[in-house]
Order: sequence, then C-alpha cells, then structure tokens
Amino acid sequence: MARVEFRNVRKQFDDEKKGIFTAVEGSNFVINDREFVVFVGPSGCGKTTSLRMIAGLEKQTSGDIIIGDRIVNDLHPKDRDIAMVFQDYALYPHMTIRENLSFGLRNLKKPKTYIEEKVREAAAVLGLEEMLDRKPRELSGGQRQRVAVGRAIVRDPQVFLFDEPLSNLDAKLRVQMRVELADLHKRLGATIVYVTHDQVEAMTLGERIVVMNQGVIQQIASPAELYANPQNMFVAGFIGSPPMNFIDARVLGNSVFVEGTEFALQDTIADGLRAYQGREVILGIRPEHIFGEDVVSSVSGNYRLTKQIKAVEHLGSENLIYFPIGNRTVTAKVHPETVAYPGLSKTFVLDFSKVHFFDPETQQRIEY
Amino acid sequence: MKTKTKWLLFIVAVVILLIWTLITVIPLYWMFIGSFQDTKLSATFRPKMIPELWSIAPYERFFEKTAAIRWLLNSLFVSSVLTVTNVFFASLAGYAFAKLKFPGNKTVFWVLLGTMMIPAQVTLIPLYILVINVFNLGDTYTAIILPGVVSVGNIFLMKQYMSSLPTSLIHAARIDACSEFGIFWKIILPMAKPGLAVLAIFTFVTSWNDFFWPFLVTSSTEMRTIQVGLASFVFAEATDFGALMAGATVAALPMMVLFFSLQRYFLQGITIGAVKG
Repeated sequence: MARVEFRNVRKQFDDEKKGIFTAVEGSNFVINDREFVVFVGPSGCGKTTSLRMIAGLEKQTSGDIIIGDRIVNDLHPKDRDIAMVFQDYALYPHMTIRENLSFGLRNLKKPKTYIEEKVREAAAVLGLEEMLDRKPRELSGGQRQRVAVGRAIVRDPQVFLFDEPLSNLDAKLRVQMRVELADLHKRLGATIVYVTHDQVEAMTLGERIVVMNQGVIQQIASPAELYANPQNMFVAGFIGSPPMNFIDARVLGNSVFVEGTEFALQDTIADGLRAYQGREVILGIRPEHIFGEDVVSSVSGNYRLTKQIKAVEHLGSENLIYFPIGNRTVTAKVHPETVAYPGLSKTFVLDFSKVHFFDPETQQRIEY
Repeated sequence: MKTKTKWLLFIVAVVILLIWTLITVIPLYWMFIGSFQDTKLSATFRPKMIPELWSIAPYERFFEKTAAIRWLLNSLFVSSVLTVTNVFFASLAGYAFAKLKFPGNKTVFWVLLGTMMIPAQVTLIPLYILVINVFNLGDTYTAIILPGVVSVGNIFLMKQYMSSLPTSLIHAARIDACSEFGIFWKIILPMAKPGLAVLAIFTFVTSWNDFFWPFLVTSSTEMRTIQVGLASFVFAEATDFGALMAGATVAALPMMVLFFSLQRYFLQGITIGAVKG
C-alpha cells in the first residue's frame, strides 16, 4: 500500500463552450498509507478531475503527483499500480463476471492459476461466487457495484480510487453498500481515495475529508473537525444537514447585535472580534444548536430570540422549524416534543458556545 | 366521435401504406414472374400479373449465354472485400474521432465531412485518371475496390455510433492494462456489433448494386460485376427480356436474403442509443 501526494497540481481544460478554465488550482495534500480519504464538493469542484489525475486518465497541466515513492506524472494508468471503481460501474457488457474480474490480470499476463485464485478470493469476499458465469446485464445494481469493486480488488493495487460509486444505487442499498465499503477498507487495509458529492457519505466513510469548491481545496480535516471548526462559510454550509445558518450581525462593544437584539459575548470571543468593532460579521449557527425554549434548559446565558414560525417539518425523530431573521430564513432542528406550528410566536434559545463568526468579505472564519 | 376519427385515420394510413407497398413490390414481382416467361411475354407492355407459363428456360439461357457465374463471383469478391475494409477502417477512424484526444481531431473530422458535400460526379474524372492513367490499374479488382476501401459516410456513421458508447469503459480498460489497440479490439468492437452490422449490410448492398464505377474501370467480360454484366446484356443484339429478368432476379436475391436474415441487427442498429440501457 502507499501514500498519495499532490504538489502544486493544477489542471486546465480547453473546453469548447467554457473556453480555457481551471478545474484544479494549486492543489497540495498528502494521503497517508492505508488512509481512507474522501474528496467532496459540489459538481464541477474538481474532485473527479483530481481523482482522474491520480489514475492517470487526465494529465495535470503542472505540478507533481506522487504515489508511493514515485513521481507518476508521465506514467500510464496501468503502471501506476492503482485500481478504479467508476460511477456507472464500467463493466464490460459482453464479458461474463469471471472475465470482467480477470481482464486486468490477463492483460498483465499473470499465470492462469494465480488469476483463478484471485478471482475466487474476490468473489468470496464480495459474495459473487454464484454469479461468475453471468453477464453484467443479468445482475442487479448492487451486484454490479460489487463486481466493479471486485475488479479493483483482484489487482491488489497500492491505491483504490472510487468515483461516486454509490450514486446510481437507491437510498437503502446505498446505506448498505456504505457499510460494506467501510468494512472492506478495514479488511484490505488499503489506501482509498473516494469521490462523492454526498456529504453524508463523506462524513461516514472518510477518515479525512478534502472539501473542494471551484477547483480550490477549502479544508482538509477529519469529519469531526470539519463539523466543529469549518474554516470558511463554504465548508460550514456544505458539511452538515440541514446546513449551517448564516445570520447578519454587528459587533458593538462586547456584544453582537442581531436585528437589534443584543447578545453578550464571552471575553475570548469578544477579544477575537475586536478588529470588527462596529462592523458587520456573519454569525454561523447549526440548526441543532437552536432550541425551543420549552424543551431546553441546559444552555446558559441570555441568548434568546423570539420569532414567528414560518413553517414546520416533522421528521419523526426531530422537527425542523423555519423562521426569518432579516432577509434570511433560519432553520432550527429541535426535539420532536417542541411545540411549534406556523404563525406561532416562539422563543428560541441559541447555544452560543457553538457559534462561529465569519468575515463577510473573505468568508473566512474569524479565529479566536 | 373520438374513436370514429381514430378509425378513419387508421384506414387512411393503411390505404396509403398499401399503395406504397404495391408501388414498391410490383416491379420486383414483375421481375420475378417475368424471369419465368417466354421472352415475348415478359416484354409485353401490359404483363399478365398471374403468369400462365412457368419455365426455367430464361435462367438456362442467362447462365449459358453469359459469364454470369464469373460476374456473380466478381461481385461477391468485390463486395466482401469492401465490406471488410469499410467495417475495419470506418470503425477504427470512427473510434478515434469519437473517443481519442489528438491535435486536429475536430478539424480533420470536419474536413472529411466537408468532402461529403462534393457530389461524386465532380471527383469521378480525376479519380478515373488517377486509377487508370496514373496507377495503371485498368480492368483489375484493385481498380474497382481501391476508391471504396473506406467511405466518409461510414466513418461518420461509426463516429456517431462510437460516441454513444460509455467512455468509462475505455478508461476502465486502460487501467486494466489493456493496450490501445486491445481496447478497440476487445472492448469497443464487441460492443459496437449492432452498429457494425448495419455498416456491413449497407456497404455490402451498396457495393453489390454499384454499377457506374465498375462499369468505368473494367473492360473485359470476365472482370465485370453482375450489375455491369446485366447492363451489357441489354445492349447485346436483341434484348432477351426473359433472360434479363432471370439475371436481375439472380442479382437481387442475395441482397434480399442478406437483408432479411440480418434485419434484427438492422433494427437494433437504428434504434440503439435511443433506448436507455
């Protein structure tokens, strides 16, 4: 197994419609040996391009890509010792599952007995023994997905690359395959780079997550770190569901004011916001850190706000309450027993130990 | 009211289709029954639609008087070679244009397409001079075959077809250590079978039915293809219509057999891509 490193990697495309555009901009990261790293971001953020550059399917415009101890910039995909699982599975439709699994090894001219052994092993791991002589079209979506993973496993690669492998599956199967993939990673002890646009997948699978937007890496951190300490408004808004609320606020003295309501700040926070004295900031608070006054008691301080409820969604385990602050709609994720209905004027409690402040211009989190 | 209009439309459609079918089928039928008639009868202006006489004499005369067997073999050879070369080269070029990145991909493709705008008659004379006078290939198989080794129309067809194949399969094969030609041979060609079948049928039928070019570049009787042979038969002293009809039937039959036996592929070929797999 091996580590993967990007050094100042940049990729430009000359697209017919968009002209020359930069898909990946000065990308730097190290993926450690046996680590499960997820690239996440909205479509067009450069995550798949990054993955394809690791695979060698796209050549970077500049910068170095290192797999193991080798700079692989000019190496053909087959010489990079990687295997890839594609979004649409990319199974060869005219070959049986056995032939699909063994295709790569046959091309590498491995001995027949070795190939048979490898195919048998992979089939056993993935529960495909019964299907080896069938064609891909005779298999269900989940089974095809397993074959695609199997085709990667038989190669014993240094690095596994997954390109949105679960996005073609239905919700239930996706959860099941997610668990299987996590389990597979433990068993294989492999380095895995996984691309998805689904932040739930990223949070559940990744040991570390690379959040990307418009070709630029926004933050690289563990799921817990991303959730607790997002570096900027993009990460804060992308990670977590429903996304973090952003509220316009003004710093005055040792307090912030939201629509005229004063919230006194702890000293450390007030010190951190010193440079923003008298200026606008963006207050970020996650929906789960806003409570209905009738249900919560553990939040200290006078961080209360009374608002008229616009809409309520009952999800069973929790309720989502929507109410306006300024011209933004704020979401609160509250206990299902919280009394709420549209039109009700309700007092909400904000947990200020969990709020973040962002610079409205740079959109970066204000450190304190 | 609604069902009445529906029925009316249905009947109109059926009538139009029937007339169309008759227009298409009657000449073939005439050819077929004419091939079993006395020469005078088969040449009458108003032929009898239900023949009184069934005789294989016209067929005997056709095969006796002409080098028909040789012509048929010539046609078979020329059409087969052209089919193989067109399928091979058009699919290679189509694949390259559809899936491979190389400088000038688009430009070369558009230039090729542009040549389709030029009528064949315009290039005929230069082509003739090139083949006959420059390369000195008159009256040879090479002369008949060479200009048609691959046609732009076929490249275009294959490019469109190959574009519909998923690129991820090519990437998967590349990662699976498959060579570039291996990808074409082991992955693309098997998947493109329906498209190749359409191409093969069209090419075979077109080259089998081609008259003008083989007529121009061949001069001896034994180098003629069946179509050229049939035409020369017309010009002989007095036209033996019975035998001519017999010859035409012999020439048309393989095409019909081919078409109907490969019809499944043909339909698959023109509908594929329209249906999500």
